Amino acid sequence: MKQTKEHFKQNPGVECIIQSLGADEKTAQRLAQMGVLPGVTLQILRIAPFGATVEVSVGGGQSFALRKDELTALNCRIVAMPLTCPDLHPEIAYRIRSLSGGKKFQQRMETQGIHPGLFIKITNTTMPGIVLQLIDQKKTVTLGRGEAEKIIIEVIDA
Amino acid sequence: MPEQAEKITVALSSIPNTGKTTLFNRLTGAGQNTGNWPGVSVEKKIGNFPLGEYEISLVDLPGAYALSPVTEEEKIVRSYFLKTPPAVILNIVDAGNLYRSLGMTLQMSTSGLPMVVAVNMIDEKSKLDIALLSSHLGVPVIPISARSGRGLPELKQALYEVINKSERTHVPHISCPPILEKAARELSGKIIPGGPLEKMDSNFLAMRLLEEKTPSDAILKTGLGNFIQLWRDRIEKSTGETIPITCAKCRFNAARGLVIEVTGQKSNPPNKQTERIDRVLLHRWFGLPLFLLIMFLLFQAVYGLGAPLQTYVGQGFDVAESWLRLQSSIARQSDWMQSFLFDGLWQGLGVVISFFPIIALFFIFMSLIEASGYMARAAFLMDNLMHRLDLDGKAFINLLLGYGCNVPAIMGTRILSSHHSRVVTILLIPFTICTARLQVFVFLSTILFSTAVAPLILFALYLGSFIVIVLTGFLLKILHIGGRPEPFIMEIPPYRMPTLTNVALRTWQELKDFLYRAAPLIIAGVVLVWFLTHFPANVPAAGAETWAGRLGHLFSPLFHPLGIHWQETVALLFGLIAKEIVVGAMAVIYGGDLSNQVFQHISPLQGLSFMVFTLFYTPCVATIAAIKAESGSWKITLFSLILGLVIAWLASLVLYQTGLVLGFR
Repeated sequence: MKQTKEHFKQNPGVECIIQSLGADEKTAQRLAQMGVLPGVTLQILRIAPFGATVEVSVGGGQSFALRKDELTALNCRIVAMPLTCPDLHPEIAYRIRSLSGGKKFQQRMETQGIHPGLFIKITNTTMPGIVLQLIDQKKTVTLGRGEAEKIIIEVIDA
Repeated sequence: MPEQAEKITVALSSIPNTGKTTLFNRLTGAGQNTGNWPGVSVEKKIGNFPLGEYEISLVDLPGAYALSPVTEEEKIVRSYFLKTPPAVILNIVDAGNLYRSLGMTLQMSTSGLPMVVAVNMIDEKSKLDIALLSSHLGVPVIPISARSGRGLPELKQALYEVINKSERTHVPHISCPPILEKAARELSGKIIPGGPLEKMDSNFLAMRLLEEKTPSDAILKTGLGNFIQLWRDRIEKSTGETIPITCAKCRFNAARGLVIEVTGQKSNPPNKQTERIDRVLLHRWFGLPLFLLIMFLLFQAVYGLGAPLQTYVGQGFDVAESWLRLQSSIARQSDWMQSFLFDGLWQGLGVVISFFPIIALFFIFMSLIEASGYMARAAFLMDNLMHRLDLDGKAFINLLLGYGCNVPAIMGTRILSSHHSRVVTILLIPFTICTARLQVFVFLSTILFSTAVAPLILFALYLGSFIVIVLTGFLLKILHIGGRPEPFIMEIPPYRMPTLTNVALRTWQELKDFLYRAAPLIIAGVVLVWFLTHFPANVPAAGAETWAGRLGHLFSPLFHPLGIHWQETVALLFGLIAKEIVVGAMAVIYGGDLSNQVFQHISPLQGLSFMVFTLFYTPCVATIAAIKAESGSWKITLFSLILGLVIAWLASLVLYQTGLVLGFR
């Protein structure tokens, strides 16, 4: 169970807020002295080819590379993630936070009724495409993985 | 007048990746001296420049995030400030990422030492309220561009004024949890800073003692050890975290507020250009192939260009030698004197000079890769593989370049991010197959093996080199040689265009360094080998009667189980000068047609054993000299020497004895 949770956190596009500096004293001190402190937002930019190493950006500015174990130790609270994240819950409603693609992509999404601020539910991820239920408009849209990757959604606090 | 100029020490200090080196080069030009900080493999640079009636001695401190150290570099910075406080601190911050820079700036500004802050406007568009920043920090703040040189006259003017009026008017106060503030207040009342620490704020010194009691107290000699420990325990119990972390939180809270005030923005816009480049260079699938392509080009550029240059230099040297031999003042000398001059000194000098082209090319291309920001990406891409050996990803590049020549590869370890990585990489590089070793292998394997088998032998040797590097890496990891690895949290800086001045100065420095620090040892080594192979006088050089020959006989019980004759032991001794001359030395020792002699005297299995020994024992005196110069430690140098000999001996022994048992010969 824990593994899937970590997997979920360490996906490119995920944004999260640091909640702790971890148990390793030296690493914690290093992070603190770099200004990476609880309350700071991290964005996961990419995973290195052999896994295990992650590039994150802190507060939208500086990029760092750190290892997955260290990232896990930060106990981040996820605030946003791309639609392609595995194990998004089918019953839960999410809100679209942003579309990270170019202008053309944004226009194409707009014609399908997808735009930031929209509430959605994911109904099916087992098919090759991802089926979205647009809650307010009472319709469903099927997206390709490439499209879904560029749609960043956020968790709605209950 | 310059002789009478009063010398003022200014410390240039900042966090990494702010343009510190560029500013240092701007201010001091070519007038720099490099060395190592005592006892560690961290580079120390000092440069001088005149300022009014003063002579400024600018000390380039290693990049550090804070004065309570995590890394080796930070320990140097902390000790430097507490033991020999500079007259003025020159701090440089990156305008594009003020928040990150200000943590250290705030900490240094609370020291009470005179200070000037240079804001490096890497991105020309950034808008900052400089006056506001200056009034908060209580020190002059000057906007500059280290790259273009804009603002440097103003920076020098500010330095000059601070030197003349060295009293600080305002030392910023960073608010901390009340218990920490109370402890600092009580402690500061008890410290009476004397000597060089007189100018320092006692609150700052109290914080140093609280944040990091053990070495700070030893330096400051307060005699308040128990009192400090009592407070530390109370504070850590109340906050639930270590004091350096509490302090970092306070500083960055202050920094965050300061950034919003000064820039009017909450966060930095992401660097679009860097993002675009990284989308390709760090691509999930193409990232690694591109990295390997870049490494291939790098290797070709250094050695493809370097090898012919090396040959030209060698030829020039030979021409000069024949000319010198004809000079009457030399021709008049006795035979052994001539031998000493040419086979000893001159050859030593030749070895030194022959390294110049590749060292120059190596550092030109390495500085380009480093300054552009790609080095951090390379480390990111290779991290997972290298991490298994507790190394950082950058070490891969050094090891790879070792397959061309060990000497620049070892000198290049100073690019690595931690002391631990540097030491381990320095110890592993000598097990690579450099081009000189390759020459020996190609020569012997073509004589001893059929054309079908010879390439397989070469392949097996490469494989052996790789396996030994990995195994030795694990061994060093288990033995904790080089200390514990530092936490891996690596900044990935935005891409930047390298400046010509930085690349040129760097390369020039490295050549100068090599000449001063490695060359004497190299020449001494070559002369020693010359002595062993030419004395006692009146015996044939390299023969059984020379010291080298006697040593060969003396060690024959050790080398016999490896299938190595005394003649080859002497050749191995010659191999210390440079592996290129092993073959030539064998020709001298055996006499006659070398291919024939080798074929008659050495069996294929013995030849293989000899090659394996050649692969793993000490590459050459130049490598030893580079290890000594780079690590700054005889202990590490000696360890490397012994490690190589032991592994070479064991590998040859296992190979030869197994071969005999299996019926090969």
